[in-house]
Amino acid sequence: MLEIAGLQVGYGEIRVLEDCSLRVERGEIVSLLGANGAGKTTLMRAVSRLIDPGAGTISFEDADITRAPASRVVEAGIAQVPEGRKLWPDMSVEDNLLLGAYAKRARAHIDRSLEEVYALFPRVKQRRRQIAGTLSGGEQQMVAIGRGLMSRPSLLMLDEPSLGLAPIIVAEVFASIRAINARGVTVLLVEQNVAGALELASRGYVLETGRIVMQGSREELLASEMVRKAYLGL
Amino acid sequence: MSYGLALIYGVLKIINLANAGILMLGAYVTWWMWDAFHLDPLLAPLIVIPLFFVFGVAMERLVVRRVLDQEPIVSLLLLFGVWLILQNVAYVIWTGDTRAIETPFVDATVKLGAMQLSWARIYVFCAGGITLAGLQLFLTRTHLGRAIRAVAQDREAAKLTGVDVDRVNAVAFGIGIALAAFAGSLLSLLFSFNPDFGGTLQLKSFCVVVLGGLDSFVGVAFGAVALSLAEAFGLRYMAASLQNLISFVVLVVVLIAFPKGIAGLLRSMRRG
Ligand SMILES: Nc1ncnc2c1ncn2[C@@H]1O[C@H](COP(=O)(O)OP(=O)(O)OP(=O)(O)O)[C@@H](O)[C@H]1O
Ligand SMILES: [Mg+2]
Repeated sequence: MLEIAGLQVGYGEIRVLEDCSLRVERGEIVSLLGANGAGKTTLMRAVSRLIDPGAGTISFEDADITRAPASRVVEAGIAQVPEGRKLWPDMSVEDNLLLGAYAKRARAHIDRSLEEVYALFPRVKQRRRQIAGTLSGGEQQMVAIGRGLMSRPSLLMLDEPSLGLAPIIVAEVFASIRAINARGVTVLLVEQNVAGALELASRGYVLETGRIVMQGSREELLASEMVRKAYLGL
Repeated sequence: MSYGLALIYGVLKIINLANAGILMLGAYVTWWMWDAFHLDPLLAPLIVIPLFFVFGVAMERLVVRRVLDQEPIVSLLLLFGVWLILQNVAYVIWTGDTRAIETPFVDATVKLGAMQLSWARIYVFCAGGITLAGLQLFLTRTHLGRAIRAVAQDREAAKLTGVDVDRVNAVAFGIGIALAAFAGSLLSLLFSFNPDFGGTLQLKSFCVVVLGGLDSFVGVAFGAVALSLAEAFGLRYMAASLQNLISFVVLVVVLIAFPKGIAGLLRSMRRG
């Protein structure tokens, strides 16, 4: 479904990603693991076309999107829930969600999407008139995921959805990701909470200083000496 | 005019120094249509608003877009240059003579208790209020309006939901320019003008916008009221020629005391 080949991305002189390749198949949950500064966010920004790759290709459902405008990526069915949530803090929760359905592919289904998001996150429904910036971190993360779903994506990319949340909320967020996947949405999950991410994902990649250094099924990754040492602290 | 300035700043993060020039052109176009074609100046906005919207969109596409990513000084200078050009164009077409619109409506007055109010003033005041309400509805109830606010608050998040930021920039600039021209058209009913028209008003609207908060329209409306109160009080204690000084002083005080404006103040109070 998503195929990244030989991707190279940098900021000015600094190279962040070197020859990065990965693929995500329809229906999977794939996790992308890596320490701080490895380039996980950079990879997602390249897929969402917030940043131009220096070399390599990104294709989605067999269409090349390496140079497509950001809005076309959304129209094609990729949504990103960015690191740090990036809600519009001065807008109401509901306006944040409605804007998630800005893409043409989503406009006709707004009411249904909104219902689905509210069913997934009842807390968000209770707070729908509240200004987004006044929500708790966990609630904001739910709104951010809901906003991503409003565009009715076939691939949802989540960048560290557990960042800064209490363990009980993290469990809630992870459960919602599982529920989203069960409805047929493919998921690419970036996490530093490796144990949690590997519970959800069937496969994973490990990114280190801009390169994929390892890939495999959940079992392979959990059995790997490197993953156990560096990411699980075992 | 202040709304236009706030809208353009909020979305494109540039200060539109050409606003005064657009205001002046809006006044001239209104006057010219009245003078040459006997078009009632009250109907002029029907032409002025769409005309300047298109002009604003074109200006963004052709000129402003090229400097958006550069240092603020570049867009300031560019738009200052546009202002000068507009002034000179007006001198060439309409000469430097002072113009004024005089129709029975413009000169009519009404007595309200002890006050003598001109109909034109009431009309302009109402038009300002209706514009604010309309703008607020547009920005909160339509997809495009929400997209404009989204770009103003977080450009990247807007891109991530599929908003075409270039298009939003152009539309916001177009609306900002149309609002300035509309303001010019309205003010031509109250004041006589020449190609320098708008300069002092520009200062005042900076003040109003800064006072209100650079990206909040309700804040801007409060700012306008606050400034006119400050001026009215100031006038009781000092010479009229010093009136513009009040804008300056308020501007400086506000920038130092609460740089996010009234809206920012309210917001931080709400957040606790
Ligand atoms: N805008 C930028 N300009 C310059 N360098 C940047 C920029 N954004 C990120 N970098 C650098 O790129 C590298 C990778 O950053 P990135 O945010 O992709 O890492 P990450 O894997 O997402 O890390 P984290 O786990 O901390 O979120 C880092 O060394 C970072 O300093
Ligand atoms: Mg990151």
